[in-house]
Amino acid sequence: MELITHLIEGFGYIAGIAPFLAIVVGVIAGIFVGAMPGLSPSMGVAILLPFTFKMPPLIGLVLLTAVYLASNYGGSITAVTINTPGTPSAVATAFDGYPLTLQGKAGWGLGISLVASTVGGMVGIIILIVFSQPLAAVAVKMHPAEYFSLALFGLSTVASLAGKDWAKAFTAALLGLLINTIGIDPISGVKRYTFGETSLFDGFDFIPALIGLFALSEVFSKIEEGSWKTRLSGEISKQEQWPTLKDYWNLKWATLQASLVGTLIGIFPGAGSAIASFLAYDLGKRTSKHPETFGKGNPEGVAAAEAANSASVGGAMVPLLTLGIPGSASTAVLIGALMIHDLAPGPLLFTERPDLIYGLFASMFVANGVMFLLGYWGSRLWIKVTKVPLNVLIPLIISIASVGSFAVKNSLFDVGACFGFGVVGWVLKRHGYPMAPIVLGMVLGKLMEVNFRRAVIMGGYGVFFYRPASLILLLISIAAFAYPLVQMRKESPN
Amino acid sequence: MKRVMKQRLLLLGIVLFVSTLTFAAGKKETAPAFPTKPIRLIVYTAPGGALDITARKFTDIASKYTKATFVVENKAGAGGMIGWEYVLSQPADGYTLMAVTKTLIANLVATDSKIDPFSLDWIAFLVNDPECIITGVKNKVKTAQEIFADAKARPGQQIWVAPPGVDEVMTYKVWAKAGITGKYVPYDSGAQAMAAVIGGQAEVYVGNPADIQGKPDLMIAVISALKRLPQFPNVPTFKELGLEGLDEESMWRGFAVKKGTPDPIIAWYDDLFAKVNQDPDWRQFFEKGGMELVHYKRDKFNQMIKSELQDFKTYLKK
Repeated sequence: MELITHLIEGFGYIAGIAPFLAIVVGVIAGIFVGAMPGLSPSMGVAILLPFTFKMPPLIGLVLLTAVYLASNYGGSITAVTINTPGTPSAVATAFDGYPLTLQGKAGWGLGISLVASTVGGMVGIIILIVFSQPLAAVAVKMHPAEYFSLALFGLSTVASLAGKDWAKAFTAALLGLLINTIGIDPISGVKRYTFGETSLFDGFDFIPALIGLFALSEVFSKIEEGSWKTRLSGEISKQEQWPTLKDYWNLKWATLQASLVGTLIGIFPGAGSAIASFLAYDLGKRTSKHPETFGKGNPEGVAAAEAANSASVGGAMVPLLTLGIPGSASTAVLIGALMIHDLAPGPLLFTERPDLIYGLFASMFVANGVMFLLGYWGSRLWIKVTKVPLNVLIPLIISIASVGSFAVKNSLFDVGACFGFGVVGWVLKRHGYPMAPIVLGMVLGKLMEVNFRRAVIMGGYGVFFYRPASLILLLISIAAFAYPLVQMRKESPN
Repeated sequence: MKRVMKQRLLLLGIVLFVSTLTFAAGKKETAPAFPTKPIRLIVYTAPGGALDITARKFTDIASKYTKATFVVENKAGAGGMIGWEYVLSQPADGYTLMAVTKTLIANLVATDSKIDPFSLDWIAFLVNDPECIITGVKNKVKTAQEIFADAKARPGQQIWVAPPGVDEVMTYKVWAKAGITGKYVPYDSGAQAMAAVIGGQAEVYVGNPADIQGKPDLMIAVISALKRLPQFPNVPTFKELGLEGLDEESMWRGFAVKKGTPDPIIAWYDDLFAKVNQDPDWRQFFEKGGMELVHYKRDKFNQMIKSELQDFKTYLKK
């Protein structure tokens, strides 16, 4: 097969000390960027971009792709150990990862997130290499109506995330959607709730909100409890227990299923890895034999979320390489990396620079392997975070939160916003409102609004119903919203 | 070709003029040493975008001609107003340089900003990127004639996509001149708008020639230029299609400093920009994508800003 010979040649192009070093440096930087709240994968790639200007194009591309790949895994480390998702896509990882830590099983959370990330990453790459052409053709056929319906479907996961507190979960999701309306209207340009404050023109940035809602609200709760000398979880003895091979094998279907979902969502330009991990988590829960333990430390939940966000990397490369259209914020920066070397991303690269394309493909396999090894070794190190007493951990988290939210746009406003969200999150948490739906509302809100309005301009209000794909997604969403409610009625007849 | 020759001569003239000026200034009095510390180059978009790359390319090329250190700082947000306000908060000493584009003017008007457009001294216009109309090669509507015929056959139904601002205004201008109507659908990223054209959800994308680089699914239907570009010999200009007054629509990039920056410092920049403008690497990087490299200095550039402000007020504030 031609593809395989190309791929073998690809490994030839990256055989050498320089490409390998680029991969190792990229993976280390990626894990750090991912784990650091405030540095998102796309920012990590952008920060390293100038360093690649003087490198040969292949080395530069390999380095940046390794950062992108590893950062989606890195986000899970802080999500599992301190309930602070390092990246938006790791929010769903924290749902079950942090409860595992609280139960004294951080080793399980970290181990599973690493293995699922690696498997997901591999699946994404394989799909990218084998099916990129036909998939890209489907991806560009997505009408704004379908993007809206997909986002609505994503929002429907609130229903299953919520459990019996569905009213509170829906309120939280609505709050997230409302926060999204702040800023300049993306379609008409009208200023909404900005009060003349320039910093509010773009609304609240997602990352400071994420850090505030998750990390700071938790910190405030801990301060309120006043349990200074304790650690995150009482039993340290079990923390360093790692899953066995058999445990990983038991998760194979959950991981594979999530990898496929992640890759597919990744392909659609503008959908993103956060949505991928939410949808995969939701699907994992619905297809699990024990859906009731999701959110309480079910390893399947960690596997689903992590496999999906790592798989979305391969997916996001599909439209980039076959059409020249970036599928995510990080791939948009990769375009810049190519441009600086006078290379235009797109299908012509396959024939003009096969060394670059197949070298890149090969390097992604290697990067995944390096990520696994570094993660395997590193997990033994970062699990120690759970041993740090709270009176050290809390100031540490507060300073990381401040630096992280400042880093997003070099703006002090964002640091203030982060603390504001922290207080709001703390108050809401005390009253039993979950944080995740707020985040989901913020992630999906803009996608929903913008695409709803684009679809209406293009085809009127009927467009959502007469396009088959949109109609099917809408019907599934309605069913997904209704199902848990009906289920609950049945269980409590009064 | 004549135009290029003329420009080269003009540029040569500018270079000679500037160098004699600086030479003369050097003779008269010992010019104040500038710069004595790193210059911060403010980019109003996030790292990794087209403007960011232009800025970093500039610092790279500039390092060949000056010992001055440039540090790129991204101050993104509010369509550039965050960056602009930041530059105004710094002293007018030439140590804060801002990378500017036409989008900044569009956003200033669109957001009803209270910032005075001439709180910046627009000192160098360097890259001129012609606006063009892009279609999908697999779509029914491909050429300019087909676009206009289709738009007339179903008035108000043809879908045009582009990011808001410069490309949006270009859309309205073309409609007005061609006597057609359509639906303008804003996309925050040009890439996603192009995906909509490739996928056939939209007929027309408004952008720049570099947008189709590496994308065989897209083609330029018509370009805003006085004559056909050598890089795209098959692409007609608006004038050839009988549309007047659309020959010089472009997206530009350049540099500005805070108003009140001393003249000797601006002369230092003029000199540096003239050298960068002649650099073969710099020219190759942009000309390949169909961009035109020029060097208009403060008088002409500030004048241009005035007329563009008027233009945006007319089209965006209807």
